Order: sequence, then structure tokens, then C-alpha cells
Amino acid sequence: MPEVFAAIALRTILVSGAATALAVLVGVPVGYVIARRSFRGRTMLLGLINTGMGMPPVVVGLVVWLLLVRSGPFGDLELIYTQRAMVLAQFLIATPIVIGFTTASFQALSPRLPDLLIVLGAGRIRRLWLLAREAKLGLLVAIMAAFGAIVSEVGASMIVGGNLERSTRVLTTAIVTETSRGEVERALALGLVLLVMSFVVNLSLTIVQQRSRT
Amino acid sequence: MDIEFEGVQVERGGRRVLDIPSLRLRGTRTTAILGPNGSGKTTLLRLLAGLERARAGHVSYGGASHPSVAYVFQEEVFLRQSVRENLELGLRLRGVNNGEMRRRVEDAAARLGIPHLLDRRADRLSGGEGRRVNLARALCLKAPLVLLDEPLEGLDERTYSRLLDDLPQLLKAFDATTLLVTHNRHEALRVAQDLVVLIDGRIRVAGDKSAVMMNPGKADVAEVLGYSVLAANGHRVAVPPGALRPGPGRLEFSMIVDDLLDLVERRELVGRVGETRVHVAIPGTGETPQRGDRSLIHTERYYDLA
Repeated sequence: MPEVFAAIALRTILVSGAATALAVLVGVPVGYVIARRSFRGRTMLLGLINTGMGMPPVVVGLVVWLLLVRSGPFGDLELIYTQRAMVLAQFLIATPIVIGFTTASFQALSPRLPDLLIVLGAGRIRRLWLLAREAKLGLLVAIMAAFGAIVSEVGASMIVGGNLERSTRVLTTAIVTETSRGEVERALALGLVLLVMSFVVNLSLTIVQQRSRT
Repeated sequence: MDIEFEGVQVERGGRRVLDIPSLRLRGTRTTAILGPNGSGKTTLLRLLAGLERARAGHVSYGGASHPSVAYVFQEEVFLRQSVRENLELGLRLRGVNNGEMRRRVEDAAARLGIPHLLDRRADRLSGGEGRRVNLARALCLKAPLVLLDEPLEGLDERTYSRLLDDLPQLLKAFDATTLLVTHNRHEALRVAQDLVVLIDGRIRVAGDKSAVMMNPGKADVAEVLGYSVLAANGHRVAVPPGALRPGPGRLEFSMIVDDLLDLVERRELVGRVGETRVHVAIPGTGETPQRGDRSLIHTERYYDLA
């Protein structure tokens, strides 16, 4: 039993970790651009992103399922019921969260700060890096919120992953399975594993966040 | 390095905020840019810093490409790091080696009297300390073009006058072409050799400071230069601050008294000549005009306006 739990926990970390990493890679630069630039439709876009921050995972799962299912437009890729499909669905859930928090944290910085960095001679990438360091508190909130949202969701993982015992079962879908089988103790144990795992990840991120806050 | 503007136009939101057909700023001198709020002073600095793009025209820098720039912003902007790291950042980005970097930072800190602040957090400084660090960051860059946007704004009187005393010496140390944006006549005259008056995005006068001050020309320019614009014998004159005296004299005005100010070490009448509000120092003793009285005042110094 412990080996099975460990495998499921590891899979959970890998899938949600990869989805969070991808969401940060895409969401931070996008959030930066939205915070810095003014363009037509910016408020509308932010409205959509803020809506996306609260999107029901099960709806995202359904849409991804429709796209990836064998008869769907991307059925040939044979991604349905794989971990990659789960990463994709979780990425779509996490990205608006990362963008939303990132935009807010960059907007909270002095608007003169990017100007200062330009005048001092920082290039585009260097600027993004220096500003991200300034917005560190908010960016780590973005990462924690995104990871928290997808590691705890069950609907999308169930629909696009299929809850296959040896390949796509994660902690949340395992809890559903065990509960429906009447294995309440196992379900509770899995729930505890999920909570402890979340705590360890968030504690590590919090330590990074609060470091050098002297 | 002279800076030359040719047909430069900057627009924002469809509105022309800067329109400079031609202007030359003389190298290794300090030019003060004076103008009312919203006249385009900061836009002019931002253009030279490369933060704003001209819609038309171009700026040349004595044949060189765009020079490196030291910009002191109106607001204090720092990274959440130590003062030293903030001063070093620009030097790192410009590839200055460690030894040289340390030397420059310590030299700039010494000149501005802030060596004791180097290890403090830059985003937790007082207003006066922040202003000094702002200037030190610009100084250690050793840039050939220095842009100062109201660098002494918002300081208490004591810190202000101390920094103002130091500023001309500092600018000499910069040995750069310097632009100082201000709306303070006194500051401009103390620090700059040349003056430019900018109103509604247009250069109204530019040149050596005494030439500009002695020939303000139009009433709106005279006001920007800190003169009181008064009507006398059917034409208008520019009267320097503090030049009005009670009683008869070379050029006389009739003032309606609004108030008498008791400033302890001196007394001042506040009143109106036509529409213009004026202040006149009066002797500590003797007859005191009352509110609503008409009082004769005069000036010995004035410039005729067009």
C-alpha cells in the first residue's frame, strides 16, 4: 500500500508541478505585458482573465476532452487519458491565475521603475528579471495559488486523465475512487498525504518569499 | 557635446505635447528648463533619455550616437535592496569592473555625504536621504548627458537649501551636458548658465541666463521666469520679485491693499495692482495702510514687455 500511495503522490507532484511551471513560463511574461502596456481591449482581456481565475476545472476538463478525444479535432495526437493531457488541462486552469496575480503585482510597483531600468541600460530580459525580483512577493503568491488550485482539482484530471490506476490516477481522483469503493480509511489517508504535500510545497515557497524581508 | 533639435514633435494621445522646430543646448553647461505644469518639460527629458519617441524630426548629439544618460527622476525610485546595490546596478549593467565600481560608488557617496547610508535599505530612506542617493546614482554613472527632473522637489527647507548649495559643485563634478527641469526661478539662476522657457510644448525663449532674464519679451514668459507682470502707463512691465517698495519712485503703481502680513522680522503688504497679486515689504514702524486702502508703490528695477 505505501508504494502505491508514493507512486500516486509522485505522479501528482509531477503532473501539477509541470503544469505550474508551464503556467509560470507563459503567465509571468503575459502578466508583465498586460501590466506595462496600454492597448485596445486591455480591460476586456483582464476581465476575461479574472473570470478565468475562477473557472470551474470540470468545464476546462470537458473542453480539453472534446478537443483530445479520439474523434475530436486533435484526436490523432493520442493524448487523451495520458498524463500530458492532464498537464494541458491543469495548465489551462493555472495560467489565468498566474496572469491575474502577476499583472497585479507588477502594477503595484512604481511605474517609474521600468523607466529607471531602461535608462540604466537594462535590456528587455534583464528588465523582466529585475522587476520580477521586485515583485517577488506577489509572484510567489501567483505560483502558490496556481499550484494549490490544480493539485486540489479533481474534475479535469478525472475527465481527461481517465483515472487509470497505473498511469493517470492522482491523489484527488484516488480519493474519489477509494470513497466510492467504501474504503474510507484509505481515502482519508490519501487526503492526509495530499494535505502534507501541499503544506511542504507551500512552506518551501513561503520561505523563498519571506527571505530577505528584513 | 552640444545637443541639437530639428523639427522635433512628440504626440501623446493625438495631442502634440512637444514642438521644437530648432534648439541648441550647449555642451558641458547646465541648462534650466522652466515652464508651468504640463508644459512638456518632463517629456523633453524623457525624449532625450530615449523613453519617449519623436513623431517627427531628430535630435543630434554632436555627431555621436545616443550618449549614455544619467536621469534623476522626480520621484525616488529604488530597488528593494541596499543603497550600495542600487548605486552599483547601473554600473553593472554598463559592464564596469568591480574595482572601478567600488571606487565610483564610494566617491559619489562621499560627495553627497551618504557613506553611512550605503548598507541601508534604499526603499526605507527619508526624503532628503533619498534625494541624495538619487543624485549619487546619477553621479557615479559618469554619463556625458545628465537629466535632472526637479531633483530637489518636496524637501524640507533646511535640506533643500543645503542640497541647493551643493548642487552647482556637484554638476561641475559631472562635467556633462546637464538639463535641469524646475519651476523655481531661484533654483534655475543658482544652478544653470543657460535658460529655456517652455510653454505649451513650445520653446519661447532660450539662451544665456542673463540675456533671457533681461529680455523676457512676452508676459507669459515673464511670469514663468518669476516676474510680476504689471501694467504701467499703458504698457506692461516685468518686475523682479522683491523689487516693489512703498511710496513714490521711478515707476509707480497704485495698489489696493488686501492684507498686512506680520512675518516677525519684517512686515509685508499683500495687494493687487490691476489683476496681479503683489507683495511689498514695509518698514516695521510708521503708518500702516488698512485693508481696502489705495497705496502708492514703486519699483526702481523693471523690464519692458512687448
